[in-house]
Parts: sequence; structure tokens; C-alpha cells
Amino acid sequence: MTRYLAIFLTCARACLVRDMTFRANFILECVTSLGWMSMNLAFYLLIFQFTPEIGRGTGWSREPFFAFVATGLLINSIVQALFMPSAEELTEMVRSGGLDAVLVQPLDAQFMLSMHRVDFSSFANGFVGLGLLAWAVPRLDQPPSLLAWLLYPLLVLCGVAILYGLVIMLAAATILMGRNQSLYDFWFYLTNFSRYPAEIYAGPWGGPIRTVCTFVIPILLVVNVPARVIAQPLEGRAWGLVAAAVVAAIVSLVVSRFVFQAALAKYRSASS
Amino acid sequence: MHNTDRPAVAASTDAVIRVAGLAKEYRVYDKPEGLLASVRGLFRRRSRVVEALRGVDLAVGQGEFVALLGPNGAGKTTLLKLLSGIITPTRGAATVLGHVPWERADAFRRRFALVMGQRNQLWWDLPAAESFRLHQEIYRIEPARFERTRDELVDMLGVRDLMLRPVRDLSLGERMKLELVAALLHEPEVLFLDEPTIGLDVVAQHTIHQFLRHVQKERRTTVVLTTHYMKDVAALCERVVVITRGSILYDGSLQRIVDRFTTHKIVTLDFDEAPDRDRVERFGFPCEVRGPRVVLRIDRGRIADALPTLLRSEGVRDVSVEDVPLEEIVAELFRSGGRAAGLQESAS
Repeated sequence: MTRYLAIFLTCARACLVRDMTFRANFILECVTSLGWMSMNLAFYLLIFQFTPEIGRGTGWSREPFFAFVATGLLINSIVQALFMPSAEELTEMVRSGGLDAVLVQPLDAQFMLSMHRVDFSSFANGFVGLGLLAWAVPRLDQPPSLLAWLLYPLLVLCGVAILYGLVIMLAAATILMGRNQSLYDFWFYLTNFSRYPAEIYAGPWGGPIRTVCTFVIPILLVVNVPARVIAQPLEGRAWGLVAAAVVAAIVSLVVSRFVFQAALAKYRSASS
Repeated sequence: MHNTDRPAVAASTDAVIRVAGLAKEYRVYDKPEGLLASVRGLFRRRSRVVEALRGVDLAVGQGEFVALLGPNGAGKTTLLKLLSGIITPTRGAATVLGHVPWERADAFRRRFALVMGQRNQLWWDLPAAESFRLHQEIYRIEPARFERTRDELVDMLGVRDLMLRPVRDLSLGERMKLELVAALLHEPEVLFLDEPTIGLDVVAQHTIHQFLRHVQKERRTTVVLTTHYMKDVAALCERVVVITRGSILYDGSLQRIVDRFTTHKIVTLDFDEAPDRDRVERFGFPCEVRGPRVVLRIDRGRIADALPTLLRSEGVRDVSVEDVPLEEIVAELFRSGGRAAGLQESAS
């Protein structure tokens, strides 16, 4: 474990050195990312000019909703910074045969292929998320309990684990297919559902989406559960969601591990 | 069964690489030309099985330097990928250092290295020194041992200054030298080299030859090399394994190939002035006549008789005798599939 941490820190350090080498690119990435996020926040503010709450009786009024958005920013920034750059690079590694070099190294291939690139500019959104959380939480009608504060980081990690499992399964598809350039697009479409409170998925269309995105691809548990724990009273149904998030995280990690190993066993390598 | 003059190695108990009946098949899809055929291909595709390796047997002893030769697509790189555990075979068995390669055990992967001349394993945007540090962590190399080995290797290859420059700013030759340093930092017992000198100039090739010879001699490293450059083979390898169409055609010494395949020698004569063709044709076949210089192919059996006569001939200023270029010999071997020189017949 210590060795893997040392390898991760060495990779992270190398990525930081590289990012600092291309300073202008690094700054541009931060600005682009922050700009996109600011536009989203402005859009949400616009919506709250017309309604006090998203969905009647859901509890997602302005401040709780911004705590929700902050949680989403935090989780996504961790995934985007730590896992997505490596997963995106995997497509090229499979196509060009670069994956061969990783497979001959004496360490877990999944670890190396999912964590060898760190995108530090993506942490910018995470810091804004923390700032937004610090703004929203004191303005909540009911402040979070100590238990909620203890559960929050655990559930954020569960959200990260669920998304990590999805990233790994998409990466496994890349290995099996030999080429999967739509990986990032597919990821974007899938995670788009997790950016809004689960309560909006109601009615004849919303109901099935909610069921699929909770029990089949548990994308709705990623942000909803930690955000609900911190922004709404911890009672009744919330405990069921907490349990579901923990179970979904474990299942996601186990299944993705199995799928990834099976894909590696079928790796064909590119012609030289 | 392929031709071999190395039964002792194959039967040896101290072989570090053992391969028995190793086969690898790939299913490939044929894509017919044209838009209509492409649309049809979305629904129904024709596939066929390609045999990259067809039941290969091989044993390599500790400290051997073996060249895998063969035309493009013969199966050389496939064999290296199987031996390094990158891909899994369709049939057959293999062990390297007592491990089944495709089980990818860490204990095995710590003991070998693979360098691919056409692929970059160092971090592209960073100095090689950063990649070396990562290797140190991955292979758990003690700091003192890491620094000693790294310094020794970079000094041997003369790349100490280069390891602090971003890899993308280096030439191909400089990059390959640093790739070799990275691969050898953990002092592997087995080294697989896939065309390590491809695209390099003669100076870089020579430096790498000297370096590899030194490493193999000093550390008793077992080296398996694939190459299309006969200079690599002549400079480094005593043993040659020729693979064509996925099967081993020949396994033995390089000298034996030369002896078997060379029926003549090349004799270059420099006259005072352009000679008559008839005058030189009686010694051998004139493959090149350019002014006073004549290049003759003379049967090996006749060379001892022909040379003294040639040297005594009037107007001869200089004579040089060479073997047929190795490239020509090997190309003929690939073309004929070994039949021309009787390799197949002597297999049993």
C-alpha cells in the first residue's frame, strides 16, 4: 500500500512538473473550467428567480440546491483530476500498443492505467465547490448534525468510487474494442443525470430513468446521497439511501475490477 | 520440426526460457472496399483466423544472446509479446525464469525487461530522470543501488547530460539510449529487445551494440533480440532463430547459416585500365564492371585456385575478397524457406 502511494505521488509529482512546464496551457484549462462552472451557477441562479424550490416539497430550495451543486463539483473534480486523464489516454495506449509497457511492469495494471495521469487544473472546480459549500451550509434552515458531517466525506468517497467503477468499465470496453474514442462523450452523457436532484425524475418518463439510474447504473446515488445528508434532515428514507450508496460503491468497485481483468486477459496488443 | 544444431540447449535443465508448442491465432476482419460494402459490414462481417505462431518450440540458456530473424509478419514480435506476458497464447506452454509469462506475476515481471524500438516508454514531456525515479518506485530499487546503476548506465552510453532534458527534445538515438537505461535500472535477468536500433544512425547503432555486449557479458543477462539489421546480429548474436510464417525454420549459429547459404565469395579487382570481359569471366561471374573495377562472384570451391592466378595477372592493382553480404544471405533464406540450402532436408 505504501509502495502504491509512493508510485502515485511520483506520478502526481511528474504531472505537476509537466503542467508547470506548460504554464499557459495549465492556466487556460483552469480558466476554461472555472468559466464553464460559473455559467452553470449563473444559470441556476436564473432558475431560482422564477421558483423558490426545484419540485414542490422536495426541500431543494436555493441554499440546499447550491450545497448539492457544491457536492457535485467536489466529486466530479476528484474523478476528473485523478482518473479521467488516464482513462482518456488509455484509448490511445490501446490503439498504439503503449499499454504493453504497463503490462510488463510489476504492479497492478488497473492501478497504473487509472491513476498515472493527474490533471491538477481539475482541482480548481473542487476548491470552488468547497467555497460554495462553505457559503451554502450556514444558510440552510437546519444546520447539518455532527453525524451528517461525519457521513458526508464517506459518502463523497462512495460517489467517487461509483464513478471510478464506471470509468474502469468504459476503459475495459476500450481494451476489448481496440478503439473507443467516444469514451469521454459516453461518460458525459451518463454522468449528466447525476447533476440534478433525483426528485426531478418523476412521472411516466422520469420514473423509469430514476429506477435505471439508481439500481442498474447507480449514477443517481453519486451526488444525491451525500448532498441530501448535508443539506436536508437526516431521517427516515435518507438511511436507506446511505446504505444503497455504500453497497453501490462496493459493487461498482468489485464488478469493474472483474470486468477490467477479463478485458486485460483478452488484450491483443497492437501490431508493431 | 525445425532445423536445429542446438539439441543440447533445448534439452538443458538450466534453460531460462522454455517454449513448447506455442501457438497464437488472431481473428481478423476483412473489410471489402467501397461504401456499400462498408454499410453491409455494419451488419455482417467476414472474419478469418490468422496464425501468428504455429507451435513453436524453443529453449534459451542463461546468458545467451539470441536473435529472432524473419520477414515482417513472421511472428517474431508475437513470440516476444507472449514471452513477456503481454498477450496470452491460443495453445502451448512457456516458462521464463520458471514463471508462466501470461500469469503476469509480479515476481516474474521484476526480473525481466522489454524494450520496443518503435514505442516510447519514457514520459514524453518530462526529462528521462523523472521516468527513472518512477521506475525506482515501481521496481522497489534501493536508493543507493538505483543511483549506482543509473550512473553506470548513463555513463556507459554517454547520456548523463541528456537525462535532464525533456524526452520530446531528444533525437531518436538519444531516446533509445535512455530507453535502454530505464529498462536496465532494475538489473533484469532476461532482456527482450524488439528492433532496438530501428531508424538509428551508424554511430548510435555502434554505441548500442557495444553497450549491449558489455551488459550481457558483465551481468550474464539473457537477451532475445528481434531485428531486421544484420549488423545487430553480426555484432551481438552467436545464435540465430529464423522464423517464417509463424514457425521456426532454423535455430543455430549465424556462421552455419553463412556456411550453408554462401556458395560463392565476392572478389573485387582493380585493374590499371578497363579489362576485357572475356579475361575476367574465366574466373567467375562478373556481377559489376565499372571502368577498371570488376566485381566477380567466384565459387567458394574455386577461390583458393583462382586467387593466386588473379594476383599474378597483368594489370591487377588491388584485390579484395568478401563474403556475400549477410542481408543477401538472410533474404535468400527467407525467400526459399530454407529449402535452397538444404536446411529442411537436414532437419531430421
